[in-house]
Amino acid sequence: MADETPLLDELEKGPWPSYVKEIKRAAKKNKASKDLLGIQELSYKDRITHWKHGGIVGVTGYGSGVIGRYCDSPEKFPDAAAFHTFRVNHPAGWFYSTKALRKICDIWEKYGSGMTNFHGSTGDIILLGAPTENLQPCFDTLTENGFDLGGSGSALRTISGCVGKARCEWANIDTLDIVRDFTSEFQDEIHRPRWPYKFKIKASGCPNDCVAAIARADFTIIGTWKDTLRIDQAAVKNYAENGFDVKGLVVDKCPTDALEWDEKTKTLTLRAEDCVRCMHCINKMTKAIRPGVDTGATILIGSKAPIIKGAYLSWVLIPFIKIEPPYNEIKELLRKIWDWWDENGRTRERLAELIERKGFKTFLREMGIPPVPQMIYKPRANPYVFF
Amino acid sequence: MADEVTGELKQKIIDYLKTVSKAKNKEVARDIGADKHVVDKAIAELSKEGVIEYVYLGASFIKLKGGE
Repeated sequence: MADETPLLDELEKGPWPSYVKEIKRAAKKNKASKDLLGIQELSYKDRITHWKHGGIVGVTGYGSGVIGRYCDSPEKFPDAAAFHTFRVNHPAGWFYSTKALRKICDIWEKYGSGMTNFHGSTGDIILLGAPTENLQPCFDTLTENGFDLGGSGSALRTISGCVGKARCEWANIDTLDIVRDFTSEFQDEIHRPRWPYKFKIKASGCPNDCVAAIARADFTIIGTWKDTLRIDQAAVKNYAENGFDVKGLVVDKCPTDALEWDEKTKTLTLRAEDCVRCMHCINKMTKAIRPGVDTGATILIGSKAPIIKGAYLSWVLIPFIKIEPPYNEIKELLRKIWDWWDENGRTRERLAELIERKGFKTFLREMGIPPVPQMIYKPRANPYVFF
Repeated sequence: MADEVTGELKQKIIDYLKTVSKAKNKEVARDIGADKHVVDKAIAELSKEGVIEYVYLGASFIKLKGGE
């Protein structure tokens, strides 16, 4: 391994935290981290990656959770020749005790490079860089200490959701319970990949969608309400009297003109039938406007990043559904969707791509879901001319 | 029962995997003429027993452990 890394050193400059600095710190204690610096320096010099992807790595009984990483120049970097990644299933809402964090770091310093990534884009704890011979003992130690692996490959990926009712006043559904319950229910689907490709479930407590479920999940659950916004007129008046521009910043910005403002009486009124629950007014006047009380979720389907076809945003499958444990209705729907997708999908074809290929009406017929006007593919599209 | 994993089914899966380098679950089910749900369960059990392993090559496949 080269001790000098002039190209990487450039990334230590400037006011921002530098991952190079962190790897160098890890390299003082760990040979693999030292070789990691060398591999990246060489990649910068050669302008090509020196990592290979995939292959056969794993732990007994699991097909998911360990991602193989091999260097293509093992003779130059023997300590990072195999530098596999663990995906560890995060707890719902990403809440940890310091004791749990210390434990996982101790395990990882023993078996891996000591470097972590909190968190991966799906939400897992990412443990970066273990040699092949350490995979099984590391997994055994993780499970002995209450951790489990997350999803990878053609499996159900680790389910994630926003912090929900634990810390947020806008949560219309209990996202933490959904994540925990679904993770327990679908252990086999997470750990044993058998589908055409990956499948993601994410839950957001309100349409602010802090985990970007609408853009990142094949099956998107977004908390909403069926009745109307709750407006506290005294609080609205207070906003106005303190110089807040209710008309300019809230009423005029309502995407469906569902709000009216009476400047004389300082009264805000809502045409409930026009409200699309975008959260803008609530976000602007948090002390005066709240979601309704008849809460549930909208189920959307299909978002993904580009692979076979381009990026998709999720679109509405079920406009409103009550979300209550044990969530049997949603679980049954998921199983039905997986069966249809598994039966008809081509290798590496995501659900949205299959729906586009077979037609949304075919999908709805197979699911036994009646078409409704809310199932628009994109804003202002005719809901009845779909795909 | 039709949805029970039997030793015979597991053996059929093992025999099938001896004839291919890798396969998806649904290919196994189709080619041995068994119900996909039961095959999924059997493959999960075989995996826990260490008989088969998963391969990720763009998508996930299964193969006999230690096989070519």
